[in-house]
Amino acid sequence: MTTERLLLELKAVSKSFGQTEVLQRIDLAVRDGEFITILGPSGSGKTTILRMIGGFESPSSGEILLDGADISALPINKRPFNTVFQDYALFPHMTVAANVGYGLKVRGVKNAEIETRVGEALQLVALRDFAGRFPAQLSGGQRQRVALARAIICRPRLILLDEPLAALDVELRRQMQSFLKDIQREIKTTFLFVTHDQEEAIAMADRICVMNSGHIQQLGSAHEVYYRPASEFVARFFGDNNLVEGRLGPSSGDRRRIETPLGALVCAIDGQPHLAAAPEGAAAYAVFRPEALSLASTGSSEENRAHGLVTGLHFAGAHTLTSIRAGGHEPVNLRLRLPSKVEGVALRAGEAADLYWRPSECRLVLK
Amino acid sequence: MSAVLRQSGAWPARIAVFAYPLAFILFPLAAFLAYSFFWTEHGTMSYALTLGNYQRFFTDPVFLPVLWQTCVLCFEVAILTILAGYPVAYFLAGLKGRKRYVLLMLMLVPLLMSYVIKIYAIRSILGGNGVLNRTLIWLGVIDDPLTFFVFNLNAVLLTLTVLLIPFAVLPIFLSLERIPRNLIDASADLGASAAQTFLRVILPLSLPGVVTALTFVFVLAIGDFLTPQMVGGQSGFTFGRIIYSQFGTAFNWPFGAALSVILAIMVIGAIAIGTVFGRDRSAGR
Repeated sequence: MTTERLLLELKAVSKSFGQTEVLQRIDLAVRDGEFITILGPSGSGKTTILRMIGGFESPSSGEILLDGADISALPINKRPFNTVFQDYALFPHMTVAANVGYGLKVRGVKNAEIETRVGEALQLVALRDFAGRFPAQLSGGQRQRVALARAIICRPRLILLDEPLAALDVELRRQMQSFLKDIQREIKTTFLFVTHDQEEAIAMADRICVMNSGHIQQLGSAHEVYYRPASEFVARFFGDNNLVEGRLGPSSGDRRRIETPLGALVCAIDGQPHLAAAPEGAAAYAVFRPEALSLASTGSSEENRAHGLVTGLHFAGAHTLTSIRAGGHEPVNLRLRLPSKVEGVALRAGEAADLYWRPSECRLVLK
Repeated sequence: MSAVLRQSGAWPARIAVFAYPLAFILFPLAAFLAYSFFWTEHGTMSYALTLGNYQRFFTDPVFLPVLWQTCVLCFEVAILTILAGYPVAYFLAGLKGRKRYVLLMLMLVPLLMSYVIKIYAIRSILGGNGVLNRTLIWLGVIDDPLTFFVFNLNAVLLTLTVLLIPFAVLPIFLSLERIPRNLIDASADLGASAAQTFLRVILPLSLPGVVTALTFVFVLAIGDFLTPQMVGGQSGFTFGRIIYSQFGTAFNWPFGAALSVILAIMVIGAIAIGTVFGRDRSAGR
């Protein structure tokens, strides 16, 4: 349902609390109907963005535009957005039905209509039978769904979700992730979801905005931020990426070489013109994922290769993470992810191993 | 406290925990209960048991009306302290950081002053030649000092209200302070105006505090005999004063004890009602 039409724009938005600058000239455009996730470690400013859009904080400078009109001065209760709070913020003295109907009640909607729409909203989140309960009588996942029903009932233009799954256990969190995604598709409303969990962001988002210390590090699809990191921070933030430091060599078309302790590596730079433009000799990292490494060569001449010793095997269920010390006088530790087998993986600690990976799975980030 | 006791396992300490309330609260109460079944004649105590004191209370046309009047008065005091105290508590709870507690402390300063001095101070404000009357005369509102404010039940009402306001502010402040900030955010987020948020979220969630304040002030007011004694004059007669006079002027301890027992039952009743209404329904399962 994502269209190219912009719903909301942040233009050069900065926010300071006292002397501390939490956000520095943020530009962010939210498309109508998309599921966008703001991902970052704690203190990166992600929640501040959400709170400014919701109206709980006002920007120190910059503009927030809705359909092209500045809404920075609009009070919270006049903004067509609703929030699902981190700890749900359900009204403890009201029943589930009263909580969900609250937004309609304060707008003066007639009781009969409130009843119908509360019924529909509770149906949507599969809590029809819980209308008469109080929040204290619900489980965490149920409270979560009430908070969601309460947010969607007013048919907002945008739903803001502030780490809503952080308090749930792993299994329930997975269920809620797909549940939220389904609901978003069904009601065709824009979701802006804040989280610090990379897997969660990848599992849910149409686009991910990676933040660190008040800056946007990268904005792109889950596939893009995962396979084509724009900065060292993003490359390190998503799991066990291998980063090998080196100096940029010559480029040819969509490929660029980098001189590293492992020798010259060939990396893909398509879609990243700043990498083609960077001067030769500039410090950079070759980035490749542990699952991109293979023990068998495809025979291609362009293939990257490394030789090393297995230093450790870490069984982690579905896969086994293998540490390998590669390179000559300046050894580099590489991580290799192999699918686990009942009889164990093909490598033993102390053995020598040859690793191969394709240039298309090797990216560059500038240091 | 209990953890410390368990750790030390000291029997003397354990016994003391139960012995102190037993010796200083339960024993005097039991003594009162016992006294209420004795009687006196011409200043001589008789320890023969009788229900005569209670009989007198229910049959004599003086006591029940005064008790009723006192209850109404104390209820009015409680209502007035809440009307005056709620805005103060709301203001304090809305402050940020240290300012909030400094101002709260300032509000509690009057509690450190002697009760008698405070009553004298209020009397000098309300009295015929007091600040209030002089100001009204100076403003030209009245020509002669009003006697409406002093030595009657109105004076008792006003004085008790002023004295007990801090006891209303504290529980209300605590219940307001406990309301999570994000509930107020959530209400605004869902489109409620500030007034709607107050009426639908803040007020209902602070009601347990209001009921506690109501009970607190009512109980303190109904047991007070000093204030009516000092500002009530001839007409400002309350149940507390009657009890006081039984122990003082009339020297009829058994009857005074019987009246005290009746008052204690009233107070326990008020606290019980307060507990039922002040219960946090949302926390109930």
